[in-house]
Amino acid sequence: MTDPILRVRDLSIAYRTGRKESVTAVSGVDLDLYEGQSLALVGESGCGKTTLGLGLLRLLPGLGEITSGSLAYRLKDGSTADLLQMRKEQLRRFRWNEAAMVFQGAMNAFNPVIKIWEHFADTLRDHADGKKWTKAAVEARAGELLETVRLDPDRVLQSYPHELSGGMKQRALIALAIALDPQVLVLDEPTTALDLLTQRSIVQQLHELRKRFGFTMVFITHDLGLAAELADRVATMYAGRIIETGSARDIFHGPKHPYTAGLINAVMPVKGDRPALESIPGYPPSLKAMPDGCAFNPRCAFATDECRRDRIELDLLTERPLGMTHAAACLHHDQVRFARKEAANV
Amino acid sequence: MTAPAAAPPPEAGSAKPASRKSVEPQPSVADGPPRIAARVLRRVWASYAFRRILQSVFVVWLVSTITFLLMHFMPGDPIEIMAGRLNSAGMSHEQAMATASNIVNYDPDAGVWTQYLGFLKGLVTLDLGNSLTNPSKSVLDHVMEYLPWTLFAVGAGVVLATVVGLSIGMAMAYRRGSAFDHVMTSIGSFLTGVPNYILIAAVVVIGFTVLGVLPFLDMRGRVSAGVEPGFNLVFFGDALFHAFLPIIAFAFTATGSFMLNMKAATTEVLTEDYVTVAQARGLKPGRISRGYVGRNAMLPIIPQVALQMGTLVGGSIVIEQILDYPGAGQMLMQAIGNRDYPVVQAAVIVLATSVVIASLIVDLVLVKIDPRIKNQDQEA
Repeated sequence: MTDPILRVRDLSIAYRTGRKESVTAVSGVDLDLYEGQSLALVGESGCGKTTLGLGLLRLLPGLGEITSGSLAYRLKDGSTADLLQMRKEQLRRFRWNEAAMVFQGAMNAFNPVIKIWEHFADTLRDHADGKKWTKAAVEARAGELLETVRLDPDRVLQSYPHELSGGMKQRALIALAIALDPQVLVLDEPTTALDLLTQRSIVQQLHELRKRFGFTMVFITHDLGLAAELADRVATMYAGRIIETGSARDIFHGPKHPYTAGLINAVMPVKGDRPALESIPGYPPSLKAMPDGCAFNPRCAFATDECRRDRIELDLLTERPLGMTHAAACLHHDQVRFARKEAANV
Repeated sequence: MTAPAAAPPPEAGSAKPASRKSVEPQPSVADGPPRIAARVLRRVWASYAFRRILQSVFVVWLVSTITFLLMHFMPGDPIEIMAGRLNSAGMSHEQAMATASNIVNYDPDAGVWTQYLGFLKGLVTLDLGNSLTNPSKSVLDHVMEYLPWTLFAVGAGVVLATVVGLSIGMAMAYRRGSAFDHVMTSIGSFLTGVPNYILIAAVVVIGFTVLGVLPFLDMRGRVSAGVEPGFNLVFFGDALFHAFLPIIAFAFTATGSFMLNMKAATTEVLTEDYVTVAQARGLKPGRISRGYVGRNAMLPIIPQVALQMGTLVGGSIVIEQILDYPGAGQMLMQAIGNRDYPVVQAAVIVLATSVVIASLIVDLVLVKIDPRIKNQDQEA
């Protein structure tokens, strides 16, 4: 299989802010995702990670709009389809069946007035394709799915959402997400708002699921630890653009964009000595007032006049197969070392 | 886009579900009958329905007592008025007083407490005395002859308002900012703002007097001459024809307020995560709008249905006068005019009771629709 399962080209997403005004939240994203890969989208709050994740399923909220680009999926039947060309009903059938999403804060992901098993029933029945889903059949299938995420079906199926803890809801949502055996799974901050022990066990289960079913996964996270653990590819986002992409190994061992290096330096290493944590000075730019040139230049220790003037494109650094190519949008990538002082200089 | 701060969540990974069916200890072999009785009592007490019913009984008692006190302290003793009437008809004063107090089932010389206890006893045994204007008829029979017509008209009006108001309100929320939304918002505010008796008067004036398309004269009364009450289509059709204007009048105000409130509730539900997730799950649009959006948006509206029932039953006094519809409101007006105290008292109590029962039913239905209420109630 050399064709990517998802090919994103020049994807831009904007939010309308007024009658004729809008802000661009994601701009010019290119991405190739191959079967079985797991990609972590990392970045600060407001960098466009979640918008991009929602865009991958065309699920943008009311004021959000995909302004350009293409989203080509290779479907289960082997054909390729552009998500942006799909009509409503086609799109509905695509969702959850080809690509599913586990949302940030599963707290409110379930309809509060119906039981968990009914959520499975609704999902299975609306994608039935002529198959009749009786209550018994739904419960058998849902029970199976809940067991793969280590939940007790006897108790969970007949519960209302408010009767489950946060961790149980997150697991139940993961079980629901894999109900139709999707090829692509987008997980938006799957462990945020959970305590450490629950985070641990969710991460383990995601590992197992990947091994067992071979899902292609996109993790949206600000937790680099999670990215290091689950992803084999990393893409760093800043101000709506992918500014560095590569294999997890390349990125974590030799980040080439000062921002990625700064993110890594802001995390406490588990092994070795414990240097003082370095934070990145300043704040991400407002989408309404983007600096000229590289969006990171006001916070960057390496910034030169060129950085403040030109739009910096992704520069190919190390070529690797299957989308693992290491590329960074930085003119000074050769100066970026994995050294805390340099990367996060004020 | 938003990455919440890593706040430590309160619950542990595999917390027990919040609800627990029973809190009582397990029955042991040593349990005697008194213990079992105590447990049954505790379980009954723990039942939401039971407590809600008890609350309703309390409200009915409160309304009855206030009515009793009002009647008691009102100037002009009903017994004396009636005795005076009998007296002028040729009866001796003592005899007239005795007959009158017998009819009204009330002893004017007894103390307040004795009277009150007698009144409560009458209330429990559904004996509220006889009508002053028609002494051979019990008050309750009199009230029950009029009440069903009002309850029918108000009930049908509220049902109509609920169906129309909720559907339009939901459609407005789905098309926020459209021309439809703007027009409907104006209509909704108009219906809520202008009293329903003025609106219905305008309908009659325009439909009957100006355009002449509304057969208002034939629509007065309960049924047309010659139609016998019974379980047949002719009777129901005719009753509906006569109740048409009152039903519309009752529906007016409620529709406006349901529309506006449903729009607000739906707009809020549409931003909920579970609706986005339902879309992501590729559910059919009909299922999302009914089972996910509509069902949740309805929850805050349902209690308002009970509230509207109360307002409309009270408003029936004016509406039934205007439309000449002989229901409880008209009966109440007549009774007040005739100073027929027992009827007034009974009518107020029965009307209040029917509203209390309606809101009780609404609350019990709400528990069925919203599983969270039971838990909140148990936690409280």
